[in-house]
Amino acid sequence: MNLFDEISAILQDILDIEGRDITPESYMIRELGAESIDLLELSVALNGRLHVEINDDDIFLKTLRMDMKEAHQQGVEAATFLAVRFPYLGQERLRGIVADIPGGPTLKVRDIVAYLNWQIEKNRGA
Amino acid sequence: MIAGAASTQSFTGRRALLIGGSCRLALCLADRMIAASLFPILTYRSEAGATRIADFLKGQENRYLAVYFNLSRADSLGAMLAQAESDVDYLVDFAHGELESFIASVDEGRIDDYFLENVACRAKLLKRVSRIMLRKKSGRLVYVSSTAALRPNPGQGFYAAAKLASEALYRNIGIELGARGVTAVTLRPGYVDAGRGESFLRDGGEEALRKVPIRRAVKAEEVAETIMFLLSDGARAFNAVDICLDGGLTAGK
Repeated sequence: MNLFDEISAILQDILDIEGRDITPESYMIRELGAESIDLLELSVALNGRLHVEINDDDIFLKTLRMDMKEAHQQGVEAATFLAVRFPYLGQERLRGIVADIPGGPTLKVRDIVAYLNWQIEKNRGA
Repeated sequence: MIAGAASTQSFTGRRALLIGGSCRLALCLADRMIAASLFPILTYRSEAGATRIADFLKGQENRYLAVYFNLSRADSLGAMLAQAESDVDYLVDFAHGELESFIASVDEGRIDDYFLENVACRAKLLKRVSRIMLRKKSGRLVYVSSTAALRPNPGQGFYAAAKLASEALYRNIGIELGARGVTAVTLRPGYVDAGRGESFLRDGGEEALRKVPIRRAVKAEEVAETIMFLLSDGARAFNAVDICLDGGLTAGK
């Protein structure tokens, strides 16, 4: 089972939704309706299945708005600042996130996949 | 012991982590847990503690586990949970460090360490244990606080502050995870004939007992029985709440 399928299976269980409703481009909160407790449950389930350390702030981009504010205060371009904070998200995705923020929570399933891939790679390298 | 109590209580889980497992209250509790077919995992932080556990539970070696854990050493947390096989249904937390001093006369060097151990390290323990319970969608936590959290004597300011902070952490687990089957209760015993209470009562505490409507200290066995009840399936609706077990001490003036 690849990472996306793994996440999708857990989400179907936690959110009681159909697999066909979940794609890498699905917004976790805006579209799938995940709440804080659901995200926590997802993190715990992924941690248990994949045996990787998960930082909830990072995997769910919880500090995004604070980071944007910090970038603004420092006079650094947002996507450049965020690239340091979230190294597992590519520049293109980060620019998308910055543009998308006014529309609501930007977290997508693909961001979770990206974090986990990065974390697993890091573990392999260690 | 309340006659028949153990046989009428039902428990969904089996493995109970007892933090501060070498104190007399924890040992009394472990004994009852074993009788009720639960599996206590008692933590100790010194060789003397390990010996106390082994002596008290002699003859029941396969029915409990004793593991090293020092709340003040965050690095011992992972090892302790690994020994407990990251499988815990119940947590009962007796651990609490000593810092008895007037606020105005405290050794400033001890303040940081005291709160680090008794609040910050406890929060780390709770994070890890509540995630284990969340994975199982079932868990029950009992924090053994004290009526001193509410009515501290002079010199108990740090103790009360750390207890209240810890109570707040437990309460919020009950608020945050209650819908997922993980609930928490704080028990505040009053004067108990064990641990700190025992030495307090020995050193002239007779006077203090006059303020207790039942005119005696709470027995260690009564605390253990109450915790057994609070862990049982029938008590799960007690959630995110503080319960006094003090013979009426804090009810009056």
